[in-house]
Amino acid sequence: MAPMTEPPADSAAAEPADAEGAAEDVRPPEYRGRSLGLARRGLPLWWLLLLALVGAGVLVGPSIEHEADALANPDPAAADAVGQAFGQLPPGALVLVAMDADLGTYPEIRGTTVTALEDLLRRGASLAFVSVSVEGRAIAAAQLEALRSDGVPAERLLDLGFVSGAEAGMVRLVDGALRPGMSGPLPALVAQRGGGIGAFDLILLVGGSDIGPRTWVEQVGTRLPARPMVAIAPTFAQPELAPYLRTGQLSGLLATIRDDAAYVRGTTTGDSSGLLPSAFALRIGMLVALVVLLRQLALALPRLRGGSPAPEAVEQ
Amino acid sequence: MTGFYPEGLAGTIATWLAALVTILVFSYLLGERRIFRLAQHLLAGLATGYLVLLAVREVLIPRLVEPIGSGSANPFLWVAAGLVLVMLGALWLPRSVVAVPVAVLMAATAAFALGGAVAGTLMPQLGAALLPPRLAVPELIGSVVSLVITVLVLLAFLHGSPRRRVVVGAAGAGRWLLLGGIGGWLGFLLVSRLSLLVDRMGFLLNGWLGIGR
Repeated sequence: MAPMTEPPADSAAAEPADAEGAAEDVRPPEYRGRSLGLARRGLPLWWLLLLALVGAGVLVGPSIEHEADALANPDPAAADAVGQAFGQLPPGALVLVAMDADLGTYPEIRGTTVTALEDLLRRGASLAFVSVSVEGRAIAAAQLEALRSDGVPAERLLDLGFVSGAEAGMVRLVDGALRPGMSGPLPALVAQRGGGIGAFDLILLVGGSDIGPRTWVEQVGTRLPARPMVAIAPTFAQPELAPYLRTGQLSGLLATIRDDAAYVRGTTTGDSSGLLPSAFALRIGMLVALVVLLRQLALALPRLRGGSPAPEAVEQ
Repeated sequence: MTGFYPEGLAGTIATWLAALVTILVFSYLLGERRIFRLAQHLLAGLATGYLVLLAVREVLIPRLVEPIGSGSANPFLWVAAGLVLVMLGALWLPRSVVAVPVAVLMAATAAFALGGAVAGTLMPQLGAALLPPRLAVPELIGSVVSLVITVLVLLAFLHGSPRRRVVVGAAGAGRWLLLGGIGGWLGFLLVSRLSLLVDRMGFLLNGWLGIGR
């Protein structure tokens, strides 16, 4: 007599060898045993290949990139608008840097932000940093420290710190941007001009995926419509922010790698290669993404033709 | 590479730490979830600790404790402090009492967000979408196309009501336009994420290992 714990012969044969694979693969036949099989073996080769190719691109890129094709088709229009907004600043202008970038997306805009800050300092502006997001505050503190280490005089930098309350905090800043007990030439100048955001000649919005330029435009722009605002944001925020450029609520917007490349190239006096991502590595990444897209499309073709139901339908 | 790390020992430690954590996160790509989870917990713990520190140092002490301690507090600050205390005791107080600060918080947040969206986004965008008289032909064509696309996409959200064949067809076209828009946005997102990956690889290879520097 067979022991009770012994499984029937047919079910044992149907079970996968590894424990993780115990879950039934409910996908249509053309999907089965492909990417999931690789993941089961712990070898997602696509990812390794992508990392290796991008790494090779980062290493090889600088030696083969030329000035003309380093980043495809840099768009000077956005950079010109930003340059124009900066050019209209009065001598000794006060610029508020609303630093609300986040740690996950700041690397994309770091080079552009640093270039813009240097550009403003070169034009004689003084910079005041404020943040309404926690991560933005961390980045602002680091950026201020970096500027001080680079020898920017302390009297041209002002730390307005973190303002709690998100939208409500922004509205509070309109009337009073100074923290209690602040002293020095810049706080005195801000206080003399009213103490709120109206004291500043321009607002530079550095945004991310949390609170960004859109919220600043909605909360501060509606209360101070004459105050020019320029935004720097990651590429994915461009579709959201471009309409504000058309309405004139933003004076300038740098939100794609094309914009960033044009601005950094046109503004930086020295070597700008470290400020922009390697175009060669980006191209490799795009090609890999294209291959993955085409592969998925090829896999989905039978379903699109009506040959088999969608995976989610099979699961149900 | 980032300009954030100073020269000397502190910079070296910061660079090695950043490289180590980057590799911990990348380990997920090899199917190693425990190490990745450790990195996640590290991030969550650090973020929470930083948030508490920020709240105490930059909000509670300068904006609440010091004004109340110096006797120069705005009377509304006492009311706000009372509401904060009610929130702190939310577990033990009756619901009707706790509802007051929660209602104030929700209402204020909604009012700011909604008011800002209407005054700062909806109205200006509606104004920009209007077709002014004597518009140049290319701009007129662009504006009409925008209007048609907007109408078709809005029609795609019509659910539950009886519709004629024309409306059904228009809604179908709107759905495809919507999908096209989402696809375009995903393209933007892909470029964004790729540049982050390139940045991290650049940091590991150039900034940390010094290859190709």
